Amino acid sequence: VNCRVAITGLGVIAPLGDSVDALFSDLIAGRSGIRRLTSARSERLRSPIGAPADFDGAAHFSPIRLRMLDRVSQLALVAAGQAIADARLAFANEPRERCGVSVGTSMGGVVTTDEAYHSMYGEGSERVEPLCVVAAMNNAPAAWIGIDHGLTGPNLTYSNACSSSAVALGEAARRIRCGEVDVMLAGGAEAPLTFGVLRAWEAMRTLAITDPIDPATSCRPFSRNRTGLVIGEGAAFVVLEEWQHARARGAHIHAEFSGYGLTSDVAHITRPTVEGQGSAMRAALRSAQLDPGRIDYINAHGTATSQNDAVETAAIKEVFGERARAIPVSSTKSMHGHLLGAAGALEFVISVVALGRGTVPPTMHLNAHDPESVSHCGRSCQIPSLSAAPTLYSLQKRLTMSAARAFNSLTL
Amino acid sequence: MSTLQTLQDILVREYRLTHEQVGPEAVLSTLGLDSLSVLELMFKIEDRFFLKIADNTPTDLVTVSDVVRYIDGLLALQAPVASAAQTPVRASV
Repeated sequence: VNCRVAITGLGVIAPLGDSVDALFSDLIAGRSGIRRLTSARSERLRSPIGAPADFDGAAHFSPIRLRMLDRVSQLALVAAGQAIADARLAFANEPRERCGVSVGTSMGGVVTTDEAYHSMYGEGSERVEPLCVVAAMNNAPAAWIGIDHGLTGPNLTYSNACSSSAVALGEAARRIRCGEVDVMLAGGAEAPLTFGVLRAWEAMRTLAITDPIDPATSCRPFSRNRTGLVIGEGAAFVVLEEWQHARARGAHIHAEFSGYGLTSDVAHITRPTVEGQGSAMRAALRSAQLDPGRIDYINAHGTATSQNDAVETAAIKEVFGERARAIPVSSTKSMHGHLLGAAGALEFVISVVALGRGTVPPTMHLNAHDPESVSHCGRSCQIPSLSAAPTLYSLQKRLTMSAARAFNSLTL
Repeated sequence: MSTLQTLQDILVREYRLTHEQVGPEAVLSTLGLDSLSVLELMFKIEDRFFLKIADNTPTDLVTVSDVVRYIDGLLALQAPVASAAQTPVRASV
């Protein structure tokens, strides 16, 4: 069996927007969701900026329910619900054991952990909330999605740093490809904007310096004056569906999931290698049975750290050769920040929408372009090789590539 | 305020339930409080009644009045550790 995989539903709760449409129009307009943080203790941070999601769990869950749900699960449940609604999928009519969940998160329920540690170590409290474990565990978002929608198939959580949700999507697609399941709800969620987490990232000297004039412009991927990444929060989910299953119920197919490649650098725990990134991109192309000439857009990992962007540029040039200067490349992290474990899923959703609409969101704040670089979009542009009227046929011909790199692993 | 009234007040405030929902015979699980949520409720009870609740909370608390009886039992055993400024809650008769 080698089933095709359809993408039939999309959902996001992200900085800049609580729906796919809101997010995409902000991205096309080049608006940034990065801002100065006002949360507790953020004044103690050297660079008190982030990309928070404008999201209040109380609008979606009862108070009793809310106590069991870390912010990461709240974000995941709402984004997953959007994806299911978009796919117009009624699980009541499905064999539930052929429907599963696949979630990527790097830090899990860290809001809960952070608060519990503060209470125990900081305030000397002897009490720990009895719901602490179920709220904080990394598999909570996946578990709750499965419970809420009655999906009794595989329920999986992947934690591979910044490629977590890219892996969750790819592994979900593989299960559909091999005929094991019909539907996978796949995505990622991250709620890392706590003092403890931000302080730890700050200690690693990876966070961007706050722009003194406009904090919203602090993340500058691929720009020579980049100073580091900005952490964001949110969740993004897709409904992946076996192609015939989607066709049989007359579902709208946003795009086809054509391939996925996974390699490990085994060089350094944080520093990426050109060889590693190149081999992952080639593995993805092989999996999709495509040659590099068929790719129309690359949504880059583009974190705006000095290490990542230089290596990623070199790897794109190595794999795509002369075409690297023609393919539009952009890093939308310049606007929504780095969602860590949810980054791969969010940028995948953005790529699917870009593909469907034939418009590429820009890399913002790219004000010191490297002449040796690839074809970075400094503003939104049309995908050059596309026709104006999107049909299913032309959608299939449109191909995009979403890159996600993690500490010591790489996926596409 | 009696033990029942104080407990009802906690349930209404903390879990956004209505007074009608939290009558003495109301079943906690029906209100949405599973066993872990009941453990969490014990924290609120400790704070409000100035009680110390041991880790081995009974697991047979089914209704609101079961919790009232449990609190009253503890109040009878433990002298409330309230400061002079705070009014200790009295056990219901």
